[in-house]
Amino acid sequence: MNPELILGLILILLGSVGAAFPKPDDYVTRLINLQVPGWGLLLVMLSFDETLALLSFCGVLAFSTFIFIRVIQKRGETG
Amino acid sequence: MNELVVIGAGSIVLIGAVMAITVRDRYQKLIYLSLIVAGVMPFLAEKGYLDVLTVISLIVPISTFFILLACRRNV
Repeated sequence: MNPELILGLILILLGSVGAAFPKPDDYVTRLINLQVPGWGLLLVMLSFDETLALLSFCGVLAFSTFIFIRVIQKRGETG
Repeated sequence: MNELVVIGAGSIVLIGAVMAITVRDRYQKLIYLSLIVAGVMPFLAEKGYLDVLTVISLIVPISTFFILLACRRNV
């Protein structure tokens, strides 16, 4: 059990609870809380020494954030 | 791994995660989210993944900028 694995699992647990029950119950808060388990998953991948998984996960995390923001803005405009 | 790095960076990550979930303001959530990133970076650098560190350093400000666009208006 190296420290990255323990820290990543703690982050995944905390972030999952935070994304499931956000305090101001709106989409942007839920999306920001969803970033926390993403970084926890990155720490778990780091503990297993997966370079390609780390690189692709970083790119996909930013790209999926962009798509989610566009969807949330479109939904907010149309109601 | 050096214990001082583990304790320091790990406490930064934990403080950032707990505060990013409990704080109610969106802008403060973004600031604590970048605190998580700052805590993850020493772990990457200590294991020698400098290419991954470069990609994260380039991509995270863009992701923060996208979330900042959504924070401005009340959705």
